[in-house]
Amino acid sequence: MTTRSGTTRRGFLKASAFALAGLGIAPRALAAPKLNLKKPIKIGCQTILSGPLGGYGEFMRKGALLAMEEINAQGGIGGSPIEVNFRDEELKVDVGVKNARYFVDDWGADFLIGIDSSAVALAVGEIMPSLNRILIVTHGATEKYNEDLVYKKKIRQCFRISVPVYQDGIASAMVAKDFPVKKWATISPDYEYGKTSWKMFRATLKALKPDVEFVGESFAKFGTVDFSSHISKVMATGAEAIFSTEWGGEAVTMVKQAKLFKVFDQTKAFMCPMGAAMDVLQGLGPDYPDGAWASGRYYFLYPESAENRRFVEAFRKKWNSYPSYVSETSYAALYAIKKAVEKAKTLDIDHVIEALEGLEVSRPAGPCVIRKEDHQAVYTVPWGRIRHDPKYPMPILGDLRVIPADEYYRKPPFPPLEA
Amino acid sequence: MLLFQGLVGLTEAMYLWLVAAGLSLIFGVMRVLNFAHGSLYMLGAYLTYAALRVDGGSFWIALLIGPLLVAAVGWVLEFGFLRRVYRVDEAFQLLLTFAFVLIFDDLVKLVFGPVYQSPPTPKGLSGAVSVAGSILPVYHLFILGVGAAVGVGLWLLLERTRFGLIIRATAADREMARALGVRSSRLFTGVFIFGAWLAGLGGALSIPVRAISPGMGELIIIEAFVVVVLGGLGSLRARFSEQW
Repeated sequence: MTTRSGTTRRGFLKASAFALAGLGIAPRALAAPKLNLKKPIKIGCQTILSGPLGGYGEFMRKGALLAMEEINAQGGIGGSPIEVNFRDEELKVDVGVKNARYFVDDWGADFLIGIDSSAVALAVGEIMPSLNRILIVTHGATEKYNEDLVYKKKIRQCFRISVPVYQDGIASAMVAKDFPVKKWATISPDYEYGKTSWKMFRATLKALKPDVEFVGESFAKFGTVDFSSHISKVMATGAEAIFSTEWGGEAVTMVKQAKLFKVFDQTKAFMCPMGAAMDVLQGLGPDYPDGAWASGRYYFLYPESAENRRFVEAFRKKWNSYPSYVSETSYAALYAIKKAVEKAKTLDIDHVIEALEGLEVSRPAGPCVIRKEDHQAVYTVPWGRIRHDPKYPMPILGDLRVIPADEYYRKPPFPPLEA
Repeated sequence: MLLFQGLVGLTEAMYLWLVAAGLSLIFGVMRVLNFAHGSLYMLGAYLTYAALRVDGGSFWIALLIGPLLVAAVGWVLEFGFLRRVYRVDEAFQLLLTFAFVLIFDDLVKLVFGPVYQSPPTPKGLSGAVSVAGSILPVYHLFILGVGAAVGVGLWLLLERTRFGLIIRATAADREMARALGVRSSRLFTGVFIFGAWLAGLGGALSIPVRAISPGMGELIIIEAFVVVVLGGLGSLRARFSEQW
């Protein structure tokens, strides 16, 4: 009985597909090649879902769910639907490793994506060969991931679809070199990401503009709710500009407090590499000082392409919110998996890795290539200045500075940083 | 500079002191370790923010309403739930109050969404003054003032009023106070509501300068416990000085 009705339905679908094809509107769903892979293909995503930075994970979750819905509507990957499961990374190394093991050993994940913390990305990356799965990082940004883990240690299972700290530390310095500023200081997170971006920023800026000085630094521990003492400490050094890699709710709090301390009146420039993340734009709203320099790992109004506009609209329609960059990177990760598996025509890990290497991914953020040597996605993200536009419910970026990714990405063999 | 940093540190501690004062008061009188106290701080922030949106942006009215709403939540917590676990093992109190931490976190996520919120700094308090050659925001001075006022108010309440006398007597010897005719159930409700109001006030005052987010209560409750333990569990006067 069941079999019969199933056959009928399939027959009906096939008939309507032919009919549609005849009309010249072959739906993409039926265009996908049938690969007879296992069903469903499972993808484990871990991200920060609790605490004051939990807003980030929510955006990542929403991007991945949108991609899942779209991919499944198109017939999944080679005919197999995909299923995405989420776990809270808590930005803790032990939790991240436990999540990865749970996903693979207990839940049966075929791919892992996500991870916000650089330290977690490094720790989970190390165990990927033993888990024998592919990990596509969508946020954690340390250059040690692609340069050391993949390029030097040859851990082939590790990939990253989001921009590394080159965006935070190198592109920023290329923009900053034109500022009439000699004395820089930082208020940044007291862990891998904050330290490594500041180091890269100093090394790059010093090389471009030898007379700059780095007069102060204050590193705030994770979970800081009051930056007053960090701000007054840095301001006492006579800094002319502030570089800050605070992110999420901590960036919101830090900017608000810096504003109270009149930092924006007393300095000539303020740069926040993660300041154009949607949660920061929304969180600060009208309080975001005009002219502050900000970026992200994708910015929803760049590039002005049909694909990007379609993504932003689809995201808004589904979630009633503009996408943050982690929404785009998790979305792109799922499409990269789809493209690679359909190219490899198998889930066999070696073949999928080969398919991913050098893969051109078309994504909302624009054209992107996954570099073969270090498994790092290469695409361009602009810097810009905060501007308030009544057309949008949150501040946006104006005065975009687009430096092509080729110019600011570090390249193999990755010479050591001098700072 | 050292003096200035001390002043800045003192303002940072004021929010904590409001939370710790209520926590300590509740423990001192009721012997309940209220894990959900940080959540009351969080609720203070969210409810004040909600009031601010409803009343059309007057921070002062919202500041009045928000903590009062938290006090009402405190009443429901004590009257509806905590009251039932006074006589059982302390582990049950921890379980119950910890459950409320999770419930309140998810509740604000459901109602307000997981995104960060933060209203602008109230007009008249967004300026800054120069202190010892450094800049100090007016809002920080305001917080110092409120903290000191609440400190003095609390001292007057405890030392100079009949309610304070009953609180101190009960904290010192519960059995004896009861034997002398103190109606502990009403006292407990009153103390809990007052403690909740203090935490709510801390949260309410934080919103112009700190991002409001689910989970903000967990960050402060740990520090508040540290303060309370260092000051001596249940001792009230030590609390204020213990911040520094």
